[in-house]
Amino acid sequence: MNKDLNMKVNVLPVLTYGFLKVNDSTVSESDIKIDSFETPDASKMPQGVDVKRGVDFAKAGEIFIKNKDRIMYTTGEFAGPNADTTGRNDGQAIRTGMGIDVDELMISAGAKCDIYTVEENVKVSEPVIIEYKMKDGEGCISSQVIHAKKDSEISVILVYESEKEFGGFHGISTRLLAEEGAKINIYKIQMLGDKFIHFDDIGGACFKGGSIGVTTLELGAEKTWTGCLVNLVEKDAELISNMGYLVRYNNFLDVNYIADQRGKNTNSVMHAKGVLMDSATKVFRGTIDFKNGSSGSAGDEQEDTLMLSPDVVNRSMPVILCQEEDVDGRHGATIGQLGEDLLFYMQTRGIDEENAKRMMIRARLDSVARTIPDKELEQRVIFYIQNII
Amino acid sequence: MSDNKQKVVEIDRSAYEFKDIETEKDFYRMEEGLDEETVLKVSAEKNDPEWMRDFRLKCLKIYNEMEMPKWGPSIEGLDMDRITSYVRHKSEMKNNWEDVPEDIKNTFERLGIPQAERESLAGVGAQYDSELVYHNVKDEVAAQGVIYTDLESAMKTEYADMIKSHFMTLIPPTDHKFAALHGAVWSGGSFVYVPKGVKVDIPLQSYFRLNAAGAGQFEHTLIIVDEGADLHFIEGCSAPKYNVANLHAGAVELFVAKNARLRYSTIENWSKNMYNLNTKRALIEENGIMEWVSGSFGSHTGYLYPMTILKGDHSKMEFTGITFAGKGQNLDTGAKVVHQGVGTTSVINSKSISKDGGIGTYRSSVVIQSSAKKAKASVSCDSLMVDSISRADTIPGMDIRTDDADVGHEAKIGRISDDAIFYLMSRGISEEEAKAMIVSGFANPVSKELPLEYAVEMNNLIKLEMSGH
Repeated sequence: MNKDLNMKVNVLPVLTYGFLKVNDSTVSESDIKIDSFETPDASKMPQGVDVKRGVDFAKAGEIFIKNKDRIMYTTGEFAGPNADTTGRNDGQAIRTGMGIDVDELMISAGAKCDIYTVEENVKVSEPVIIEYKMKDGEGCISSQVIHAKKDSEISVILVYESEKEFGGFHGISTRLLAEEGAKINIYKIQMLGDKFIHFDDIGGACFKGGSIGVTTLELGAEKTWTGCLVNLVEKDAELISNMGYLVRYNNFLDVNYIADQRGKNTNSVMHAKGVLMDSATKVFRGTIDFKNGSSGSAGDEQEDTLMLSPDVVNRSMPVILCQEEDVDGRHGATIGQLGEDLLFYMQTRGIDEENAKRMMIRARLDSVARTIPDKELEQRVIFYIQNII
Repeated sequence: MSDNKQKVVEIDRSAYEFKDIETEKDFYRMEEGLDEETVLKVSAEKNDPEWMRDFRLKCLKIYNEMEMPKWGPSIEGLDMDRITSYVRHKSEMKNNWEDVPEDIKNTFERLGIPQAERESLAGVGAQYDSELVYHNVKDEVAAQGVIYTDLESAMKTEYADMIKSHFMTLIPPTDHKFAALHGAVWSGGSFVYVPKGVKVDIPLQSYFRLNAAGAGQFEHTLIIVDEGADLHFIEGCSAPKYNVANLHAGAVELFVAKNARLRYSTIENWSKNMYNLNTKRALIEENGIMEWVSGSFGSHTGYLYPMTILKGDHSKMEFTGITFAGKGQNLDTGAKVVHQGVGTTSVINSKSISKDGGIGTYRSSVVIQSSAKKAKASVSCDSLMVDSISRADTIPGMDIRTDDADVGHEAKIGRISDDAIFYLMSRGISEEEAKAMIVSGFANPVSKELPLEYAVEMNNLIKLEMSGH
């Protein structure tokens, strides 16, 4: 089935100058090709996880709709920033980084959702591993809901891969709910072929003392859109995100990460580090949003981009929105090539420029890969990184 | 605390709030609204050359075709049908302060402009509503060949071709809707030309006063600093407060030639019914230096992002700015820079303070084009939230298109430290005063860049804003 529509995705929470071309992005209808709607069977499924397969996408969102007042609750009086765009996603069961157009695609295409639930106080020690092994020309969209009930823990690893020369379409929507004291850690490793079109959308909410960890590695695909919005709803809720990326050739990566901090003493950490080569283009939007009522909260966003070709394009939008006095928000960005001092140091140790660059690329990507909580998969990813550079 | 309040009130807000009575006898006021007839009337008032009249009409057409900006503060409260584009006193511009009409002279005396001219300035231009009422430059500066006059007069001199070849080339009317509006109805403003190698040791200043209610001010400032020359230009602005919207849509075009340096300092204290939609832009040639120092205190709604184009190799730009958004204010400010030349450098340091429900937004863009090899850019923005009913947002953008650029960016949002207030209070300082001292300290990197008299004025404005007056 070929869908006939353009998707407006990764809309910046507040609009800015049009000439920067960061206010949103478009997944064009010609990129979308769908002939499969299902999440593959998990290659590792530890005990303690209840799975419901093939649930209708909208129906799977009911858990968020049931909690919507709680998720969107703010103790203070909300006054939006200039050119606030967040209202456009109000129709979502849970707001996501890429936004409502992904939900509409999922619903209109009839995508299915798998729901992974962990009961109260159950701490699942081993990760769930789901591997998409894409064939050439294949088009797939699928969705998951991960629901960690009070004081439970779950880790889920999603791997998307294909042969290097393959092309196709792959779209994922993952929605997360961490109840009081619950922890969800999700890892997404994208190793798709050079002609793949890929999107990966995440939305989540953390209740009191809950924690969501999002680790992503974007290593392949011709065009990639990824978004993540986590609502830190109640006291001591936390988002820790860690992204690594390598964008090469004429490829394109478009990112929109948002921490929506509503509860007191919430904490968000968003780190992204990556490498741009050849004629690659990358857009990174990262927003820390301190809503009124989030007193005592902290947000830290850091971006480190290594540019290794004169033809790359790097656009960055590190945004902090703040309607609360007692917060500590900061962001930093370092963008450039390898420092001359570092290169000189390497050369004095007998390492030439090309090898020094390879080491620096690996250092950035391996530091993310080493957090994968499955040794075999970690080694596979590190081997993949070693091969592609 | 009451003693402190009394002290703060004594900083004389009345100087800014003072209103002249606009009488039909002394003032000419064009009807409200904007159409071709209005534009032709402004053109006739200015005795424009033909090319300028045609240019104004072209700008009006562009204005009518362009959309409002989609990304900034709301400007729904601005109704162009209720804004008059041109108001002037019926007297001519003077070169001698004693000849300025009494009512206008009185206003500028209260603002301290003549005193500043005597004590610390090389020349002064004073605009009242739509027209310059006074312009003067010290003899020794004029003797160096420095031209400092009103733009309309300059267009009828040997500098006409220079003006024609520069006017609205940096800020074309297609840039945005209010640039087009400016092009259609601009009036007043200054022309400065500093010849090759001339260094003007003390600053020139233009002061803009909008006294009329429901009016717009559209002055155009054009400064050309020729090779190896050096100038510090200061711009001040204020207006009394009315219950109707006023509009300021000025334009500032700055051309800094090879090895030249220009510092452009602004203390903006428009009244809090003002929509300040001002556009400032500078083009810097090889080894040129542009320095912006900006303090934004007034206005109801502000869009202000001085832009620098680092065209020449090894040209440099530094922006140091502070914005204080108090009750009822929505100030969207920052800076823009485009790196084109090799080895260009930009440094942006921005501070903002939000208080009493004010919205302070820092917005910027750093664009490094592929030609700008070895470019360096550094951005630092700090926001201070004084309470929890205000907003402080930072929206910086970067577009980097070469690998050998070095770009650093950092931003922080935070509050006044309780420990610091406690420490000052333990030394017998009231809480209000302690907060004002801390905010003044926060603003210090900006005030230290200003001449002493202006730093004092800026600190007074901070104290006024902190006191809530």
